[in-house]
Amino acid sequence: MRLDIGRFPIRDMAFGKETRYEAGILHIDRNEALDVVMEDAHIVSAELHIVKPGDPVRIVPVKEAIEMRCKIGGTAYPGVTGQLAPAGSGVVHALTGGCVLAAGKKWGSFQDGLIDMGGPFQRYTIYGSMTNLVLVADTDEEFERHEQQKRNHAIRWAGHRLAEYVGSCLQNLCPEETDVWELPPLDARGDASDLPGVVYVLQVQTQMEIPGFNTLYYGWDCNHMIPTLIHPNELLDGAVISGSFMPCSSKISSYEHCNNPTVKRLMREHGRTINFLGVILSNLNVAMDQKQRSAQVVASLSKNIGAVAAIVCEEGYGNPDVDYIQTLVELERVGIRTVGIANECTGRDGASQPLMTLDRAADALVSCGNVSEILHLPPMPTVLGDIHSLERDGISGGWDGCVAADGSVTMEDNGIFCGDHVSGFSMKTCVDY
Amino acid sequence: MKDTGKKFKAVCYLNQFFGQIGGEDAADVAPTISEGPIGAAAIVHSLTDEIEVVKTIVCGDNFAASTPAEARDAVLDLLDGVEFDVFLAGPAFAAGRYGVACVLMATEVRKKFGVPAVTSMNAENPGLGMYRSSIHVFEGGRRASDMKKDMGRMVSFARSRLHGEQIPPAAVAGYFPTGVRGQIFLEDGEIPGLPVLAAADRAVDMLLEKIANRPWRTELPIPETRAVAIAKAIPSLKEVKLALVSSGGIVPSDNPDRIESCSATKWGKYPIAHLKEGFPAGDYKTIHAGFDPTEADKNPNVIVPLDAIRHYQRIGRIGEIEEHFYTTVGTGTTQAEASRMGQEIARDLKERGVEAVLLTAT
Repeated sequence: MRLDIGRFPIRDMAFGKETRYEAGILHIDRNEALDVVMEDAHIVSAELHIVKPGDPVRIVPVKEAIEMRCKIGGTAYPGVTGQLAPAGSGVVHALTGGCVLAAGKKWGSFQDGLIDMGGPFQRYTIYGSMTNLVLVADTDEEFERHEQQKRNHAIRWAGHRLAEYVGSCLQNLCPEETDVWELPPLDARGDASDLPGVVYVLQVQTQMEIPGFNTLYYGWDCNHMIPTLIHPNELLDGAVISGSFMPCSSKISSYEHCNNPTVKRLMREHGRTINFLGVILSNLNVAMDQKQRSAQVVASLSKNIGAVAAIVCEEGYGNPDVDYIQTLVELERVGIRTVGIANECTGRDGASQPLMTLDRAADALVSCGNVSEILHLPPMPTVLGDIHSLERDGISGGWDGCVAADGSVTMEDNGIFCGDHVSGFSMKTCVDY
Repeated sequence: MKDTGKKFKAVCYLNQFFGQIGGEDAADVAPTISEGPIGAAAIVHSLTDEIEVVKTIVCGDNFAASTPAEARDAVLDLLDGVEFDVFLAGPAFAAGRYGVACVLMATEVRKKFGVPAVTSMNAENPGLGMYRSSIHVFEGGRRASDMKKDMGRMVSFARSRLHGEQIPPAAVAGYFPTGVRGQIFLEDGEIPGLPVLAAADRAVDMLLEKIANRPWRTELPIPETRAVAIAKAIPSLKEVKLALVSSGGIVPSDNPDRIESCSATKWGKYPIAHLKEGFPAGDYKTIHAGFDPTEADKNPNVIVPLDAIRHYQRIGRIGEIEEHFYTTVGTGTTQAEASRMGQEIARDLKERGVEAVLLTAT
């Protein structure tokens, strides 16, 4: 399977008469773009902003980040923004160095987070160093207006439509550079078959039993599946869409699924140091038997396709640490050597057990950050969205009174949008004090 | 660090040998306090002008080891009314009794007076087996010839603490981890030798090392867990004395021992002989901060099932019930602290002839 991703770097972004990409500059027809947003009658108000690295701007509540891209002759996010279609081969044109950030105008939810584009907390997310198109919208989803857990359907889907709309201006253009992602079928690996077989196990967040919240695979709720082998290109081609339930710093946005740096590195290692066998898409369900089943299936699937090593990535912390550790243990038990990627929760005093459950078999872990770290954010001249959502709406990491009168914020790392970047972008780790 | 000219006041704690009272023959002496630096404490002044040793406490190793509670009380009494900013204990090198005493005194002084407490000992010193999350224990040499180096690290850390500087990670400063973890940005280069790489590359690099059977360094070492063997079943509860123990935070409503709602360091035991029907609501409540207390406050028996136990006692299924229940809070409580409290509770239960425990958690 071969996927060509043509890259169109965003050197600058501006509103203009026509949505087009020219000489590195992305022009956006604001009215036409807003029309696309408003196609859903549940969006009652919407505005667009452009933010650049270093801008004195704070965005909250951010609900989703999506790469602006188009699939030549197809749909960027199959089963979500368009018809179901197989993903993973063909040609994608993608705007790089920026994305759509979909934010609430007022109302936040547990899974939403904060992004600073400038100041000392710019580096707390990758989005702070990207040129982004920000959608700030409100909806008529009254049924969940005052719920802590929101599906955020209208805004998230508007973000996806917007990203695909902007991306469609690349349809007939020639990319500056093209990344070719190619991995032949398992029985046609040639010399690579002599190298150690490696799988990447992606444990996506699926803890909600009711529809509308969980990570989607071609639009399918990943709570209702058993672990399945997918081609890495499917992930890079938009088959997996982020959900709307997890403390925010643990979240993997749709942007990060399409750009998963761990998968990209494994693809580059293929044929050099490893035989990359593929991605096992697994889940993080609540019931104990479901955790056990997924862990066992991951291990047997890995074993059956000849894996000798695996990287396991957990989207979340706390309860899903059980799935994470259990999967690592099951893999080690069948002789597959593992590395885990996740964040830690060490508590307000830093002294709590960093993962809900521990096992000595998990002897190679990468730590992406500590959700409990208390952050003191100085006031920011411009806020897109509503800073008070942090204290009012049950956003993870915020609490009643966490926003001071001058706009400064005291919050947990938990509330930084995708801040622990467990997809692999994280430049953080945890150490002993 | 620039010298501000300000003098901070330190109290040093030494054993009989380094306090120049004598050798093993003087190991039984009770704690004494002297003005200024005595014996090894004088080294502090050779290391910095910023810290003045105002008092030196000297205590015999045997005295501290065989009567720790008495030694602790004596040291705390001696410090009553003394003005000081930092407590320096040791260094204790590989001396076991001395190391244990340094950790004990540093912990207790920190608890009572709120000042930073610093000590030093060799990695093999049994003092490190003690609970020591509130103090900083530096990794020291095996013998007294390392005195200057070990005291140097203690003093330099104390100065930085007194200047209000952030505490560097354990691996940088050279103290033994206190059980606290926190996040850092790798590009800040705080810990020399850590690769400045994204998690994706760190993970793949680690995997390649692991596949190749080369050494790798996990970023989250899993502490060794001690598996406790499951006790043999008790054939009949009629024949044994049963006690109720819980980490669910049920206490008399005024929480007389001020047990913490989170990260507990205290446990309590309270009479229940007079409670024939179980815990009455109102007189007892939970102080546990880790769950919604509504139901437990309404009926404390849902956490510590005294009502059910009394019922079984009435119908003859259970014999004697210990006249106190034992309680603490489990949320955020470290493994080390829980294990210390568990040992203390177990000792007390043994002394009271308890042979079976119903342990309820939340």
